[in-house]
Amino acid sequence: MELSFIYQNNYLMVSAFLLLGVLLPIVALTAGRFLRPHNPSAAKGIPYESGIDPLGDSRVRFHVRYYVIALLFVLFDVETVFLYPWAVAYRELGLFALVEMLIFVLFLLLGLIYAWKKKVLRWS
Amino acid sequence: MMASLLTSAPSLLNFLIFFVLSALLLGAVLGFVTYAILAERKVLGFMQLRVGPNQYGGRFGLLQTVADVFKLLIKEDVIPAKADKPLFKIAPMIAFVPSFAVLAAIPFTDRFYFTDMGVGLLYFLSLTSITTLGILAGGWASNNKYSLLGAMRSAAQMISYEVPLVMSVIGVILFSGSLNLLNIVEAQSTVWFIVLQPLGFVIFLVAAVAELNRVPFDLPEAESELVAGYFTEYSGFRWAFFMLAEYVYIFATAALTTVLFFGGWLPPLQWVPGLGFLAYIPGPVWFVMKFSAVVFFFIWLRGTLPRVRSDQLMEFGWKVLLPLSLANIFLSAFVFELFFK
Amino acid sequence: MNGELLIFLILAVTSIGGGILMLNLTKVVHMVMALAFTFLSIAGFFFMLEAEFIAVAQILIYGGAVTIMMLFGIMLTRHNDQDESRKRGLKWIAAIGVVAFFVLIVLAIDGINWMPEETAFVENNTAQIGLYLFGHYVIPFELTSIVLLVGLVGAIILARRDRKLNKEGEAHD
Repeated sequence: MELSFIYQNNYLMVSAFLLLGVLLPIVALTAGRFLRPHNPSAAKGIPYESGIDPLGDSRVRFHVRYYVIALLFVLFDVETVFLYPWAVAYRELGLFALVEMLIFVLFLLLGLIYAWKKKVLRWS
Repeated sequence: MMASLLTSAPSLLNFLIFFVLSALLLGAVLGFVTYAILAERKVLGFMQLRVGPNQYGGRFGLLQTVADVFKLLIKEDVIPAKADKPLFKIAPMIAFVPSFAVLAAIPFTDRFYFTDMGVGLLYFLSLTSITTLGILAGGWASNNKYSLLGAMRSAAQMISYEVPLVMSVIGVILFSGSLNLLNIVEAQSTVWFIVLQPLGFVIFLVAAVAELNRVPFDLPEAESELVAGYFTEYSGFRWAFFMLAEYVYIFATAALTTVLFFGGWLPPLQWVPGLGFLAYIPGPVWFVMKFSAVVFFFIWLRGTLPRVRSDQLMEFGWKVLLPLSLANIFLSAFVFELFFK
Repeated sequence: MNGELLIFLILAVTSIGGGILMLNLTKVVHMVMALAFTFLSIAGFFFMLEAEFIAVAQILIYGGAVTIMMLFGIMLTRHNDQDESRKRGLKWIAAIGVVAFFVLIVLAIDGINWMPEETAFVENNTAQIGLYLFGHYVIPFELTSIVLLVGLVGAIILARRDRKLNKEGEAHD
C-alpha cells in the first residue's frame, strides 16, 4: 500500500514540475507583454541573412545522411532499452544472460560495421 | 520530511504542497542560473587575463545577469513575417519544460529529494531527447535558412551523442543493480563509481558536453559559423528561454554526474580507516562542492579547448564513442563477475 | 470524480486530441508535433498502469527517436508542404459514420462483464522485466536483434541508392 502511495506521489510531483515548467514561460512572456514596446515594421519582418535581402528559395534540401543517422539512432536507442533491464537484473541472472546479451550486441555491431564500411558514417 | 510526504495518500493537498516545493526549487535553480552565467563570464575572463563584468552590483558585477534579464524582458518581440507563429511561440516551451522536469528525479541528500522513482535515471535521459524536438521546431518555424541548417546540425549532433550517453551509464547500473538514483548513491558508500568506471565516466562527460551544445561541441551555436544557429530569429525573452533551458541542463547534468559518479552527498575515502572525520561534514556541503567542481570543469573546458569541426564531431561520436561505450559495458560485466560476485 | 479519473480524462483528451490534430492540421511539421504529443500522452497512460519502465522507454524511443526520425525524413523532402482541403460534402457523411460507430462501440463495451482483479503493486518493475526477458523470452529477444539488423541494412541500402540517383542534383549538408 505504501509503495503504491510512493509511486503515485512520485508522478504527482512530476506533474507539478511539468505544470510549473509550462507556466513559467507563459507568465514571463505575458508579464513582458506589458513592458515591451510593439512597433512592427516591414523591415523588421524580413528573415535575417547577414544584413542583405534573402537570396534564393527559402527551401533548403538536406542530404540523405541526416535521415540515415536518425535511423541509426532509433536502432541503437532500442538496443539500449534492452540493455537496461539486463543491467538491472544482472545479479539474479546467470552467466548465460551475459552470453545472450553478447550475441545481441554483436548483431547490432555487425550493423554498425556495415554502415561504417558503406561510408554512411562519413560526414564530409 | 520528503519520505513521510511521499508515503502519505496522494490527494489535492499533496499536489499543492508539491507545487509549492517545485516552485521553491525553480527559484533556487533560477538563482543558480543567474550566478552561473556571471561565474562563467568572470572565470572565462580570468582565464583570458581580463576581469569580466564588474560594473553592476559592486566590484564583482553581482547584478550583471539581473540587468541582462531585465533588458531581455523589455525588448521588443520581433517575430519574422513569414514565420510559423504558433510553433515559433511554442518551441522555447518545448525546449524548456523537459530541462526543468528532469530535476524531479535528482536526490540532493538522503533527506532532501523530490521523488523516489524506480526508473529515475532513465526518466532523466529520456526527457533530454524531447528538448531536441523543441530545437528542431524552433529552427523550422523561424522560416530562415540559417536557423533550419543550425537546427538540423544541432539535432544530428545531439542524437549522435545521446546513444553513448545512455550506454555509458549502464556500467553504473550494473554495479548498483537499480535505476533508482537514491539506490545508486547508496551503492557508492564504500567506493565511488568514478573509481570503478573510469572509462564510463569519460564517455559520459564527453557525451554530456556534446548534449549541452557546449564547447568543444558548440558548432550549432557558433557565432562565426551560422550566425546564431537555430535561435537566429529569436529575440528578447523567447531567446532567453532557450538560454535558460541550456543553463538548467548544466545544473541537471552536473547534479547527475555528482550522483552517478561522485557519490552524491557521501563523503569520500570512507574505506581508509583514518578518514572517518570527513563524515562530520554534512551531506549537502559535499554535494555542493562536487557539483561546483563539475560546473567549474565545464566552464574550464570552454576557456581552453577550440571548437571541433562538424564532420570530426559526428565521426567521433559514431566511430569512437559508441564502440567504446559498448566495450565499457562488457568490461564492466567481466569485472563484476570476477570481483564482485 | 477522484484524482485517478481526472488524470485519465486529461490524458485521454490529450492523446485523442493529438491524433485528431494530426489528421486535421495542414502543415506537415505541425502534424508531426501533434503526433509527438500523442506519444507522450500514451507514456502517461503507461505511468498510470504502473509500468514505469515501458513509460520511460516510450518517451525515449517514440517521443525522442521516432519523432526526430520522422522530422528528418520530412526535411529531406518538401517540408513546407501543406495539405489541400478536401471536398465539403464528404465530411458530413464521415461525421455521421463516426458517430454511429461510436454509439455502437459504447453499447458493446457497456455489455461486457468486467471482473475487477486486485493485483498487488509490482515493485522493482525493471528487474522483473529483465528476469522475464532473459529467462522465458530469450528466443524472441534474439530474433528482435535480427529484425533490427535487417532494418538497419535495408535503410542503408535504400539511402545509398537514393544518394547515387541524386548525385547530379544539389543537396545541402
